[in-house]
Amino acid sequence: MTAAAEPTPDRLPDRLSWTREELLDSGAYAAPLIAGGVRCHGGFEADGRYRSPRTTHRAPAIRAWQAGLAREGHELLDIPRAAMPPQYPNVEQAALLLAHGVRDPIVRTLTIISIVEGFGAMIRDVRVPDLAALVVEPIEGTALTHLSGGLFEAHARDESGYKDEGGHKQMWEAARDLALEKPKVPGDVLMRFMGRNAARRRPERPFPQLDETLERMLAMMAQVLVVEVFAEGTFDWGMRLLSDPKVSAAPEAAGTMVGHIRADENPHVAYLRTALSEVRARTLRTVDGRTLAGRTVVDALLHRILREITRNRPREQREDLREGLVAAMQAAAKPGALLEAFDALDSPWTPPARTGFEPESSDAAAAS
Amino acid sequence: MQPWIRLRRTATVARLAAYLYLLYKVPGWIRRLRGLPPRSEEELAPTHERAARAILAAALSMRGVIIKLCQAIATRADVFPPAFVERLKQCHDAVPPQPFAVVKAAVERELGKPLDAVFASFEERPIAAASLAQVHAARLLDGTEVAVKVQYPDIEEIVRTDLRNMERACRVYEWADPKPLELLPLLRELTQHLGYELDFRREARCADRVREIFAGDPHVRIPAIHHELSTGRVLVMERVSGIKITDKAAIERAGLDPAAVVQDLMSAYVRMILAAGFFQADPHPGNLMVTPERELILLDFGLSKELPEGYGLGLFELMFSLMTLNEAAMIRAFQELGFETKTGDPGTFLLIARRMLARSETGGFEGEFTEQMTDDLFEAIRQDPVVKVPSDFVLVGRVFSFLSGIAHTLGSRANVLAAMGAAPPQ
Repeated sequence: MTAAAEPTPDRLPDRLSWTREELLDSGAYAAPLIAGGVRCHGGFEADGRYRSPRTTHRAPAIRAWQAGLAREGHELLDIPRAAMPPQYPNVEQAALLLAHGVRDPIVRTLTIISIVEGFGAMIRDVRVPDLAALVVEPIEGTALTHLSGGLFEAHARDESGYKDEGGHKQMWEAARDLALEKPKVPGDVLMRFMGRNAARRRPERPFPQLDETLERMLAMMAQVLVVEVFAEGTFDWGMRLLSDPKVSAAPEAAGTMVGHIRADENPHVAYLRTALSEVRARTLRTVDGRTLAGRTVVDALLHRILREITRNRPREQREDLREGLVAAMQAAAKPGALLEAFDALDSPWTPPARTGFEPESSDAAAAS
Repeated sequence: MQPWIRLRRTATVARLAAYLYLLYKVPGWIRRLRGLPPRSEEELAPTHERAARAILAAALSMRGVIIKLCQAIATRADVFPPAFVERLKQCHDAVPPQPFAVVKAAVERELGKPLDAVFASFEERPIAAASLAQVHAARLLDGTEVAVKVQYPDIEEIVRTDLRNMERACRVYEWADPKPLELLPLLRELTQHLGYELDFRREARCADRVREIFAGDPHVRIPAIHHELSTGRVLVMERVSGIKITDKAAIERAGLDPAAVVQDLMSAYVRMILAAGFFQADPHPGNLMVTPERELILLDFGLSKELPEGYGLGLFELMFSLMTLNEAAMIRAFQELGFETKTGDPGTFLLIARRMLARSETGGFEGEFTEQMTDDLFEAIRQDPVVKVPSDFVLVGRVFSFLSGIAHTLGSRANVLAAMGAAPPQ
């Protein structure tokens, strides 16, 4: 039950308008996904393949919008994987810690991942403005017109669960509990989580000439897209670590669970890439009656986020984590030797010089 | 305390208890003689109002514990009818101060020195007066400005007497009433809280502990304690000044954004409650100030509370499940926090959650425990006696409800989850 099943589209692939109910529809499963005793979203086909939730129509819909974008002659934007900072501690370092009984830092990291995933549900609270009034070109039949018509809601439900079904939050908790045999969660987990987030202040608006709701929505989408793309590194880390029989009590089940989450995230990356590419291919109206190229706005937002995520934040997070790691290692038999071995396994990383979304000089003159 | 004073207090409590008993029972007996059914909750409303007035009058004349009890009742909409909650709210800010001579004698007795051997000046008029103590501005001999919190003389004895009287009254009430309100657990909780509040050394330690939580945070300030001048009954602390947290006009005049002040306030409380599991549990506006430099000042740590390990995470899980409408997670969170149903039916939790959520504009939890939501939660619980609410949850709910009130006064929202730094941009 590892391979992800592609949903079979039962509509024409070039159909571009979908109802909210269709985008939220999961169809019937041969067997439900039960994780850690909790009924989770998604399920299994009769042949045992896992199928992600809410993809019966959402997956073909996204493909159809992407095809529409290509027909118009526009490219699909791509977030460079090279900009993805490595996990700290890396898989080998984490396995070393677990092998030496230093569990708290890994339990804390896995719990924080589950909390971050769960907070993804707040995307349903992002306000969507009247896009038809704020975009110069027509937007019928695009992902953009479906953001508040099911795409954000489907994303939110995937992340945090809905009604009686758990989502990625519960699935990460299940993977943690399976691999590490329901470990005690360190009492400081929320303090650590908040330490990383609470001090943030609302950033300055880079495009005050735009409708504020539109700008904030695009900024949020760009932020979530980058986080979702970079989450690939987290999935890889989680799958490798939790499926390692030397440190995991349930290597197959725990690794597979992370694999299911990874499969579920694909539609998120796909719809966000599509919708932001649609904006990039269009022109936005400013509040003073002028216009601004969508490409200028989307690229500037992505540039700013990528620069932030690849420059300062990895170093800050590393410093923050290292303090806790060193403290936790003191409980090991030979903390000095363990720290030395831990540092020897470190993987150096240099952030790329360019984000790939640098503002061009012509962009500055794009406002007409 | 003079024996006749003790006797008078006992007599007052006994008289009040007898009055309340007859107020509720006599009409019931008459109705039974006439073959009428018992009064409905609606028909009982005027009786509740009369009872609440009588309790308030007794509290203001006796002071001491009964004021505290009234304050506790005013926060327990889950147990008491609305008339009690509304009427007894007055006990939060209606306490007359003690004369200066009494205060001076108390300070000198505690410090073992004349007032002028410690203080260069001592304001005779208090800055604030509460049920157990009052606060005076003063200046130390080296010129340091301080605030001196002085416990009322004999208050410990008064508290002990009052608690004994109340326990007797509660036992008689529970014996006499076939379906009594559960007053004894409330009294036990009150006894514990009073013990905390009467121990100023504990308060000093709590202030230090909260200060540690915010070490390195430029946005939160906890006044320093002058431990060498503090005792179990006198607390000498750094005198701080700022704008009252609910004074929106003054906040704006200082060039501060009220929404940012709310965000700082919420971040501080979320950090204490959810992350640290230790918090100042009395966030009424008199205990909160903000400086023009956007520094939040927290005062009065008498009622600081330590939550059981893991409780903060449990609260977070409950709020999170409410926000994400995940009903299975809601049930798990209610159970992990210590809620209980007599029948074991988890559906009750969902009914309560749905009732709370129905209060919000969108039908979902948007990170804020409003006063209406908290009231509705407690009202739902009061109407359905199968649910037991953990007292820690009541205290936390009260705190978030107070914070919501402050946020609304400042034209903002007290979003708990946004204060964790994870809210979407609006």
